[in-house]
Amino acid sequence: MPPWSDFEPFIVSGLALGGVYALSGVGLVVLYRATGVLYLAFGAVGAMGALIAWSLGRENVPGWLTWLVCIAAAAVITLGYGLIFGPALAKRDPLVKAVATIGLTLILYGLMDLLWTSSGGQARSESLPTDNGGFSIGQIQVDWTQVIALAAGVVITVGTGVFLRYTKLGTAMRAMANDREITATLGVPVRKVEAAAWLGCGVLAGVAGLLLADLAALDATTLTFLVISSLAAVLIARLRSITLTFAAAILIGLLHDLLTPITALSNYQNMTPFVLAAAGLLVMSRRRVMTQSREEA
Amino acid sequence: MRAQMPRAPRAVQARRTIVLAAAIAIAAAGCSSSSSSSSTTGTSTSTATSTATSTASAPASTSAVSTSQCGTKPGAAATGTPIALGAIVTNQPGTSFTDIPNMANAYFACVNANGGINGHPIKLYIETEQTNPAQIAADAKQLVQTDHVVGIVGNTSIIECSVDSSYWQKLGYDIIDSGIAPECYSTPNSAAVNMGPRYSSDGAVQYALSQHVNKIVFDQSNVPGTGYIAAGPAALAKAANVPIVQLTENVPISDADSVAIKEVDDAGPNGAVVLNFTPPEALVILQAAQKLGLEDRVKLWGCSTPCNTDFLAQSLGPKWNNKLFVNAELLPPDVTNTTTMNLYKAILKQYGSAVSGGIGSFSQMGFTEAEIAVHALDSVTGAYTVQSVNAAFQAVSNFNTGMLCQLWSYGSYSLHIPNNDDSTVTPDNGKMVTAQGCTQISSVDPQIAQYRSLAGTAAAAPAS
Amino acid sequence: MGADLGLRSTAGRQTSRRRPGRPQLIRAAVITVLLLFVLFGFPQLLSLYYIDTMTQVAVYSMVTLALGVLVGRVGLVSLGQVAVLAIGAWVAARLLFATAQPYPVILLEAGLITMVAGMVTGLPALRLRGLYLALITLMLAGAITVVLATVNFPNGGHGFLGYNGSLVHIPPIRRPSVAGSDPAYFRYAVIVAILMFLLVLAHTKTKPGRAWAAIRQSEPAALAAGINTTLYKLWALALASFITGVAGGVLAGAVHYLYSIGFPTQDSITLLAVTLMGGVYSMWGAVVAALLYQFLPALLNNWGVSADWLTILFGLGVLQVLTTAPAGLADQVPKDLARLARLLSRLLSRLLGRRTPAPGKTT
Repeated sequence: MPPWSDFEPFIVSGLALGGVYALSGVGLVVLYRATGVLYLAFGAVGAMGALIAWSLGRENVPGWLTWLVCIAAAAVITLGYGLIFGPALAKRDPLVKAVATIGLTLILYGLMDLLWTSSGGQARSESLPTDNGGFSIGQIQVDWTQVIALAAGVVITVGTGVFLRYTKLGTAMRAMANDREITATLGVPVRKVEAAAWLGCGVLAGVAGLLLADLAALDATTLTFLVISSLAAVLIARLRSITLTFAAAILIGLLHDLLTPITALSNYQNMTPFVLAAAGLLVMSRRRVMTQSREEA
Repeated sequence: MRAQMPRAPRAVQARRTIVLAAAIAIAAAGCSSSSSSSSTTGTSTSTATSTATSTASAPASTSAVSTSQCGTKPGAAATGTPIALGAIVTNQPGTSFTDIPNMANAYFACVNANGGINGHPIKLYIETEQTNPAQIAADAKQLVQTDHVVGIVGNTSIIECSVDSSYWQKLGYDIIDSGIAPECYSTPNSAAVNMGPRYSSDGAVQYALSQHVNKIVFDQSNVPGTGYIAAGPAALAKAANVPIVQLTENVPISDADSVAIKEVDDAGPNGAVVLNFTPPEALVILQAAQKLGLEDRVKLWGCSTPCNTDFLAQSLGPKWNNKLFVNAELLPPDVTNTTTMNLYKAILKQYGSAVSGGIGSFSQMGFTEAEIAVHALDSVTGAYTVQSVNAAFQAVSNFNTGMLCQLWSYGSYSLHIPNNDDSTVTPDNGKMVTAQGCTQISSVDPQIAQYRSLAGTAAAAPAS
Repeated sequence: MGADLGLRSTAGRQTSRRRPGRPQLIRAAVITVLLLFVLFGFPQLLSLYYIDTMTQVAVYSMVTLALGVLVGRVGLVSLGQVAVLAIGAWVAARLLFATAQPYPVILLEAGLITMVAGMVTGLPALRLRGLYLALITLMLAGAITVVLATVNFPNGGHGFLGYNGSLVHIPPIRRPSVAGSDPAYFRYAVIVAILMFLLVLAHTKTKPGRAWAAIRQSEPAALAAGINTTLYKLWALALASFITGVAGGVLAGAVHYLYSIGFPTQDSITLLAVTLMGGVYSMWGAVVAALLYQFLPALLNNWGVSADWLTILFGLGVLQVLTTAPAGLADQVPKDLARLARLLSRLLSRLLGRRTPAPGKTT
């Protein structure tokens, strides 16, 4: 077992990785709470936005404008999907709705590889101005982007929790995610609330995409399938608690990186999210059968 | 009695029709368009240091070189029966080597427009694959049985050499390729213009050792062949009595920070970190190291030849000048002002619209392979059959490609590593410049030793 | 409510024993003729490129069949079927290198070991339903993929793992002595596939099939009716894992070389997409799905069309299936073709003779 000092730098990088997972995971749970859809295309939509921003940046469009376009693109795609396919699938099982978003993921993934090919050995990267500043903890430097990612995770967690619980629109969203028909009969403007929920979805995905493209990699495959690892945190929180998702994501990131100095296990460290999720779910389900029905929003 | 399916209401039917129509339209659009890609060259959005254009600026003498020099009869289009050649290339999200056969095709197009091979045009059939062994084997059969190719030029695939080498041997094809898998360098039927991951990593490690580091950390991507690749640097380090740590990373890398920290910790302040990754992955690691302020925590960083692109030089900042040393298995285009190099740039410009990466090692490799093939084909008298063409390929001896450090030979040896002499480059404000000229890969690597015992040591190529 | 994809089933039909009527006999005869044509006609007519592709279709039709059993008959959505296939291929490769047993024995062993692995990992997960279950299969698949990337596939080395990383020449995985050539192996793969289809048929026509239908309609109701739902779900899992394991064995012999990068997690997602598109209810759906998954890419590759268009098509297909055509192409295409035929006949009759009034009502 290596000495404690070997683990120290990985605490910081583990927190940063946890921030990455938290951003995706919290986004997923928030969307699930608001729309009843596990938006598996979250990563793909964000990746598309980030790639569009990158392309614009090469045409010398100012940075802040490219970020706005990224977020707008993600919002438009998500809103479009929600308006076209949301009502059609509204009455269906959450599983069906989640599988449908897989359809969107595949479409975007194919499009991204067509439009931004990987031939020629190109290396695309997205940098934000906050990369160039920071502070050091011990021997490791932390840049502001990582801090922002963590902070964004916290803000989203707290903010959307408050929004969903205490505001009228938020309550309407939760009700709709629970049961669309009854909510409609209660006089809630269902289509408007739905559109608002999907729009919020899209904005979140865009912001996350931009940050993740900087923190992880500007690569369609990485960003699209990063959701799979973030799903672990989502599962541990049983798709319900945003706070728990955040905490689980941080824990997964920490554990993942802390395994690095342990040579016997470091090859398997990428299993951390999956093992934790599987273990967590199985432990939680040992007493009762776990159903994801519409009643459990 | 089948359970009755409910008739879908009108709106739903309409939606279904729309979705189906969209699918068909997309498929039709796909069929009608060739797989052309938007020409993207990668500069990051924030790099302000380099004002260089994204493709290396061509020296003024390019305009003096006419592309018609590529063929034997300038201006005369070839109209005879085509000579069919084939290539299998990996093309999947994240890894695409299509630039290599596409550049070879550009060279062939130039030759076809300027006399062809004795009046015969060359037709190159390119099969793409997604690292699926069944698909790769099927592609080989397609080329041989349906397209009736008489030679294979331009293969570049993560696993094709392993999957097809016995097939090629059985049929008597001597392949000219850009190798990656072990079998590209260890079988009688494949000779590569590049050095491949193992020998290129050897070059990078060799340079690090020459700078008297006291420890080497060799990190590579976890794709097939890691053990084979690692054996080269291990042998070099052992002979120099320097400890070496072997690491692998699953790609794509999503957590570059911990990778960078791990490498730096293992190497120590007088050590070297040598990377063997594709450019995007190497970039992610190096950028993470820079963000964490780790680049000066080791004596130097090394990288095998995939890092040798201007994209990488531009995306990394000036902190990596003379800090990162990249093995260059081909002559650097920016600083080599020879006729052949200028011809390459001219052909790329005129015929290379399908080459999205522009000037760089990928298109250089494609050019070199095509050059060798044309040189061999020009020597064929009589009919162009599998036997005659491959005999000609095998007979290529001491050919000056103008792109390599040495003269290139095929020969009838049991293994081929004809490119075993390379240089080292380092980024310098957005471009790769030479840090060390042509140096032979050490015979401490047992495979190199074995090859040199069979083929001898090739002479250095004179500048042309 | 169980993970009912909301898809109405055709599995509720009569399964009591009756003498097969004429339509059934005709259907059986047509299928037999078709299979004979595939077995003996294809090798004559197709080039080796397409024979190799069709071998892959045969292999993956078993995988989509297994997935169809899980999704269509029992309502368990698995997002990790490719990982199970990898396990089957791994076991078969190890045994093929280490022993000299005959091929059918090795296929059986691969199937059984994969079955046990599937049951062991699946049993605790059966307490989960719907979305949870689907996601946990994804997690398990992700874990297996990481292990595979480190452990690698056997390549003739020694030790338990059978992997030698520094080999300069990797030996190929052997094929059965009777089926060494590509056309012969194609026939071998088709025969194994037929056997697997018959195995599933035997299940669906008998008690397990009825139990599965009841579970998919409503699990609490099935429980109330006295069906041991856990047992039957486990049975379905065992059957699906067995078939996928056998498919893995056939795959090993087909490709000769196995690499962990050939079994990425995202392939399981694409596999689910094509299985849904093909149709999870009929056996034909499994064949259609395999054709989509393997034949279509090979065709497009030949025509120089990028594989990305297919990814997009599959995404659209998933959306279409889930929103409008629940039983997939296998059910929908014949109906659409019938509708097209009716349309054409009406058009024709209108064109040919104004005298004959157009038929007023379609059946």
